[in-house]
Amino acid sequence: MRIIVHRDKCQGHARCWAHAPDVFKLDDEGYILPGDIEVAERDELLATRGARSCPERALEIDRAFDALLDRFLFNQACGGFNT
Amino acid sequence: MVRDFSLFTSPGMGPTPDGDPHAAVACAHDALPIFYSPNNTRDGRGTWVITRAKDQRRVLHDTATFSSHRSIFASALGENWPMIPLELDPPAHGVFRSLLNPLLSPKRVMVLEPAIRERAIVLIDGISAASTSCDVMKDFAFPFAVSIFLHFLGLPDERLDTFVGWGKDLLHGEGVKRTAAARTIVAFIDDLAAERRKEPTDDFMTFVVEAKVDGRPLTDEEVRGIGVLVFVAGLDTVATAIGFDLAYLARNPKDQQLLRREPDRIGLAAEELLRAYSTVQMIRVAKKDIDFEGAPIRKGDYISCATMIANRDPAEFENPNTIDLAREDNRHTAFAYGPHRCLGSHLARREIVIALEEWLSRIPDFRIKEDTVPITYGGHVFGIENLILDWS
Repeated sequence: MRIIVHRDKCQGHARCWAHAPDVFKLDDEGYILPGDIEVAERDELLATRGARSCPERALEIDRAFDALLDRFLFNQACGGFNT
Repeated sequence: MVRDFSLFTSPGMGPTPDGDPHAAVACAHDALPIFYSPNNTRDGRGTWVITRAKDQRRVLHDTATFSSHRSIFASALGENWPMIPLELDPPAHGVFRSLLNPLLSPKRVMVLEPAIRERAIVLIDGISAASTSCDVMKDFAFPFAVSIFLHFLGLPDERLDTFVGWGKDLLHGEGVKRTAAARTIVAFIDDLAAERRKEPTDDFMTFVVEAKVDGRPLTDEEVRGIGVLVFVAGLDTVATAIGFDLAYLARNPKDQQLLRREPDRIGLAAEELLRAYSTVQMIRVAKKDIDFEGAPIRKGDYISCATMIANRDPAEFENPNTIDLAREDNRHTAFAYGPHRCLGSHLARREIVIALEEWLSRIPDFRIKEDTVPITYGGHVFGIENLILDWS
């Protein structure tokens, strides 16, 4: 899972950090550091909670990559790519 | 588009025994998403009232159209200077915000936590040793919140009662009393700034008088604007939140039991209580004519973004009038949205959580004392006047 960080929307509520301090890093003023975040599988639940509690909608959960991967694995299980 | 509705004068907004002012304003969602309320400020001016959370977000983000410079404090004195950074618009706002943010950042608040907890424990142990009943507002919520805030400012505790009195007169007093309190607070901040210029210590006011923005020191008016805002913002908001929260737990023993059994839930529960019992009305001034969701807002009009209304928006929160201490994804607006997000929010949150944790772990099952009635009120800042709890 990836989290897209809209840094210009961050207003320093730090709700993401409260849920998952290991995933979301803040600068000295308390605003999120710029740059999208690749979330390890073990952190996904907390990261999702953190992203969903942003009052400014500054954090977007990107599951496009996961979906691609799922489809790929599924197709593999069925005997490889459907061609 | 005009509606008889006011946070000052509608039913349940004046001092009300056993009142529930938050439920009383939740009815704003029955009608249009924006309407005009002819008498919705302390000085009797009308405001447009924005009821939906998403529209409040739009107003509070659009600082080019909706200015935060209202001179709310100075105008009570017939003057015109901004409380800083609240009443500055970007880009000037950002300069002061960056100066003050590190003082109240989440990491900085973590450093303050042990002192905050100790203060809570001393107060609660004192109460529990003395009696099986107390007025939570007078004996705990105010002394706790105000002493933390005095500590932050670098002021001694012995003036606590005086400051609480000024705050009460300012926020909840009428006419003459309110103006007198405003004058007293301005004089106090000016004197304090002058003292710290002469004899610097290591407190907040010294930091402000020695600070630089854009490579220059702050003007006297800027120092005053910051000092007054920090003074007023810290005086009763946290105490009020603790009061509403403990009143809720006193009336809802099941939820009280839940938090006693599983104290790890207190952090999340505090967010839900902030949502349900948020206390502040934000006001913006239109900088130009704009049609907003069908309403003809004109330059100079006031626009009210009341947190307590947005936080009961059914489009934003499932069953908004139900308090669910396990509610997740709780993107409430208790500390506002946008660049003016409450600078003290991280400190306020920790104070509330610590107060609930220590109260629940040191005071047995409590309820509202028989034959006593808490008095609540609405207004610019919602409040609770007294809360007598009993655990005999």
